[in-house]
Amino acid sequence: MATTETRVHLRQEAELAAARLPPLMVAAERVAATVQQGVHGRRRVGMGEAFWQFRRYEAGDSVRKIDWRQSAKTDKLFIRETEWAAAQSVWLWPDPSPSMQWRSKRSLPEKRDRADLIALALSSLLVRAGERVAVLGTGERPISGKVALDRLAQRILFRSKPAGKPGDLPAFEPLPRYATLIFIGDLLAPLEETDRLVRRYAAAGVRGYLFHILDPAEQSLPYAGRTRFEGLEQEGHLLVKRVETVRDEYKAKMTEHQAGLADIARAVGWNYALHLTDQAPEAALLRLYVNLAQLPG
Amino acid sequence: MLSLGLVAFTAPWILAALAALPIIWWLLRVTPPAPRLVRFPAIRLLFRLREKEDTPAKTPWWLLLLRLLVVTLAILGLSQPLWNPGGAFTASGPLVLVVDNGWAAAANWDKRRTLVADMIEKAEREKRQVVLVHTARKSASAPIEPSRLLRPADAKALFQAMVPEPWPVDRKAATEALRKVSLDARANVVWLSDGIESADQEPFLAALRRLGTVAVQVDPAEAQPLLLHAPRLAGESIVFRVERPDGERPAAYSARAFADDGRGIARQRIDFRPGEKSIEASLRLPTELRNRIARIDIERHASAGAVLLLDERLRRRPVGLVAPTAQGGSQPLLSDIYYLDRALAPFSELRRGSVAELLQRPISVVVLTDTAPASAEEQTQLKRWINEGGVLIRFAGPLLAEASDELVPVPIRTGDRNFGGALSWTKPLPLANFDQNSPFAGLAVPKEVTINRQVLAEPTVDLQKKTWARLEDGTPLVTADRRGKGMVVLVHTTANPDWSNLPLSGLFVEMLRRMVELSHGVAAGGEDRPQSLAPHQTLDGFGRLGTPPPSALAIESSMLDKVAIGPQHPPGLYGDAASRRGLNLSVSVTSVRPLGDLPSGMEKSVYRDSTEVDLKPWLLAAALALLLFDLFLSFFLRGLFIRRIPGPGPHAAAKAAAVALALAFVAGVPADGAAQTRSTESRDPAIRATKETVLAYVLTGDGETDRVSRAALIGLGRILTERTSVEPAQPQGVNPNTDELAFYPVIYWPVTASQAAPTREGVNRLQSYLRNGGMIIFDVRNQGSAMEDAGHLRRIVAGLNIPALQRMPDDHVLTRAYYLLPRFPGRFASNPIWVARADQAAKDGVSPVIIGSNDWAAAWAVDERGRGMFPVTPGGEVQREYAYRAGVNMVMYALSGNYKADQVHIPTILKRLGQ
Repeated sequence: MATTETRVHLRQEAELAAARLPPLMVAAERVAATVQQGVHGRRRVGMGEAFWQFRRYEAGDSVRKIDWRQSAKTDKLFIRETEWAAAQSVWLWPDPSPSMQWRSKRSLPEKRDRADLIALALSSLLVRAGERVAVLGTGERPISGKVALDRLAQRILFRSKPAGKPGDLPAFEPLPRYATLIFIGDLLAPLEETDRLVRRYAAAGVRGYLFHILDPAEQSLPYAGRTRFEGLEQEGHLLVKRVETVRDEYKAKMTEHQAGLADIARAVGWNYALHLTDQAPEAALLRLYVNLAQLPG
Repeated sequence: MLSLGLVAFTAPWILAALAALPIIWWLLRVTPPAPRLVRFPAIRLLFRLREKEDTPAKTPWWLLLLRLLVVTLAILGLSQPLWNPGGAFTASGPLVLVVDNGWAAAANWDKRRTLVADMIEKAEREKRQVVLVHTARKSASAPIEPSRLLRPADAKALFQAMVPEPWPVDRKAATEALRKVSLDARANVVWLSDGIESADQEPFLAALRRLGTVAVQVDPAEAQPLLLHAPRLAGESIVFRVERPDGERPAAYSARAFADDGRGIARQRIDFRPGEKSIEASLRLPTELRNRIARIDIERHASAGAVLLLDERLRRRPVGLVAPTAQGGSQPLLSDIYYLDRALAPFSELRRGSVAELLQRPISVVVLTDTAPASAEEQTQLKRWINEGGVLIRFAGPLLAEASDELVPVPIRTGDRNFGGALSWTKPLPLANFDQNSPFAGLAVPKEVTINRQVLAEPTVDLQKKTWARLEDGTPLVTADRRGKGMVVLVHTTANPDWSNLPLSGLFVEMLRRMVELSHGVAAGGEDRPQSLAPHQTLDGFGRLGTPPPSALAIESSMLDKVAIGPQHPPGLYGDAASRRGLNLSVSVTSVRPLGDLPSGMEKSVYRDSTEVDLKPWLLAAALALLLFDLFLSFFLRGLFIRRIPGPGPHAAAKAAAVALALAFVAGVPADGAAQTRSTESRDPAIRATKETVLAYVLTGDGETDRVSRAALIGLGRILTERTSVEPAQPQGVNPNTDELAFYPVIYWPVTASQAAPTREGVNRLQSYLRNGGMIIFDVRNQGSAMEDAGHLRRIVAGLNIPALQRMPDDHVLTRAYYLLPRFPGRFASNPIWVARADQAAKDGVSPVIIGSNDWAAAWAVDERGRGMFPVTPGGEVQREYAYRAGVNMVMYALSGNYKADQVHIPTILKRLGQ
């Protein structure tokens, strides 16, 4: 576990990475049905900034709502109505499991650090755009505004270990319809489990993103000789007599796993992306940004 | 004990464990090394893999070999191997070590120590008891006592306490001691002899043989003991004899001489040739140094026999000054005695008195001056003394001049010779240089030393031979003659400054010193009465001075040369600090002879250099080291060092390649750097030209023209710096064919007949220069003909796109760019100049070319001191000034274009503004 100092440093890095992108307004055809005001117009009359329509004054309307300039042009009184604008709510889930706290070389960051970095940068972008962000698993409501970022950073960087079986996917949590959910993790759980969870969220009307973070060593298995592998989440251990003989097969398995994840995402209309920790975090962020900004409805 | 040539095993049964090696090999082989441990998150995927290859992992062969080696080394080490083992004892009884610990054993004591240590170790291994017998007495009264039967460890301690004594061994006492030893079984007797034959040797050998088998150890020839015999003085040298017992082989030693305070004074090589048993060594030293020698010894030969302690006897050369009892105290500076006293005192012991008083005690030199003539009786005494080896030094004087006696080397004429007196034509004479065979040879003769008066020798046949020093005209100044063993020396002038200024010079001191050195030292003790000399410091067996042992007694001084060296009288210094006497071993040991043939049955061997080495600790240490290495390798195989050390195979190759690459890169850097430097240099003019304003001239290929161009632009540059804000740097010669021109605001181009037209590249470059605002001043440099004969110019600019030209109109900007100038004279004044027609020229009508023929360069050119190089016609210096002004205008025109043309309109503009 990294020290508090490096974790705080991570936040600065995230801010730096986010600073290069404009605020991220999640493209949302339909926005989660929250009463919170936001930037996503709902194409109907409601609370908001943007002008929607003029309407004849009817009895019972507040006198304050009368648009005097418009009314002055004619003999009738008009009321100015604005478009109902609501905020999109985004739930982030940076994988906190022990398997994320691993790196194959000293020069690489831990997977968890990378996941947190991306989550933080993303929150920063979202909050700047006025979206509402929450961390899945904390049970908190999505929040927005300047204070939100501090709180999110607190939640992401210093969250306690998840209860329950380690390494598993998060437990299902009812989210409002049309919310956006972003999984950031190594997603090494069996495909069936992932599939079950994703389907459940999709059925609840949540749209999402599977952001797959792997260490390059997990992709290529660069070991040789007699090696005893040990899991990070009490999965047990395995003695491989000659790693080079199984390397190709492992690679095939890994590719298969990634393809399976992509299939799961595609089946419910979600997105899937793979990111290796030896790649630049900015690239990953840009990819997420582009994808989220034009999430197919 | 199992012996295999050079190696023997003390516990050979352990070697049986070697039979277990194949089993260990098999066990090691089937136990594979621990796998490398890797933590891996994606292990779930690995679980699903089936492993195809199922060959059992084996220990690599090299690791197997390493471990077998460790086991083998451990087994061998435990079996206690010995390298180079000594032979076993032959007899069944205890070990009897008879150690000669006299002076002769000291030089090679270390070898004895290792030998005894080996012997005792062997006795310990074989569980034998040891008897230790020494052969030099410890005290005069007590007999030598053999030790009891000792455990080897005790014997070792006892031997370590044993030191060589500075006196000879006592065979008789040792024989008695051996007879006291009674043993049950036949003993293994080892006699560590000192290699020197001694009296009572036969009974001693017999006593040895009585005890059992006898092995005799002797020193090798190169380590045999040396004996230094008492030194004596011979002339200027100290001579001493070095003796060795066995003279067969050549040997080289080095004798050293030390002062009282331990400082080294001299070193002398001593080379024994084959067959030489003894050799005379001599130390030839200046008197002062020789007198300071207190000790002579042999380097790297620590033994009491190889040390000589010198005392006062070798140093003394008492000089007697025959002086009247009542010295002329009133006028000491006129007294002979005063000068002699001052000259002699620094290097000799001076005594004063009458002849009779002086001759009572041994004395080397007697100095007789003219002020104290000897009586007849004294003369007889002196003659006898001289015959016995005394040296008499006489000085002449008025008395001697009047009446000579027999104590002179040469007959003396009556009367003296006077130079340089009031009524004489002669001048005082200086000394001639000394002859080669004179005792004074080598002394420098100061020219200011002159002799006014002297006594003259009668010319005789052998006068030449007897003369040691002479004046420049050849008359003898110092003469000498042998009388018996002694010598009479006469200085033909006085010892005071009456007759010469010799006594005032340093030469006088040197001459006296040489004369005193000729004398013999006084060998015998000068003491009048015998006295008892207590031991002051004595030598130990290794020849080191220390406090005397309690057994040491005082010696009568008369017995000093006859005393027997022993526990009572160890060699050393005796007497009190005032009169110290040295007692050397050679007083009682007069010669050394090697140990002769031994009776049969006695094994004679030389002290061995190489001794047995216990290999056990080495082998076990090697096994341990290899075990640690094995541990390291195991860690490596498990990947514990994986972060720093990539495993063998492609990683290592990659790393090696990276290192090689890095090295190649490093090696490549200097070359790169050099290239960079070169390119910097080649760009240098460009950098300079862009940093500052640089006027350029075209290199014509004609050296003189180029030199003038350069000097001209320097001259023009000075004028510009003085008078305008343009401060050009050193001008730059350019070749349009090769050099970039863009940096120069104006280029001066002297047109010569020999100049080649620019190449296509040059034309392109010139063209782009002119198009982009550059300016070229063409100077045809021919008086009068101007454009009519501009053939060369045409040839040169043929490829250039020069706009249509016109004679410079009177109101052209050039005429008022800085100065108001109607004309542009150079070296010549008459010719017009041509510029581009205003309507033709681009760039706001600024002419890109100025063509003239006034040879401006010649007018501008200055030498190093700033003076004009060429005369200008017809206007002289005034015209040169105008030429400079023309140059200033041209440069200003090049730099500021038609800026001044605008100024023409100022009145109009002002007028308009006013409205």
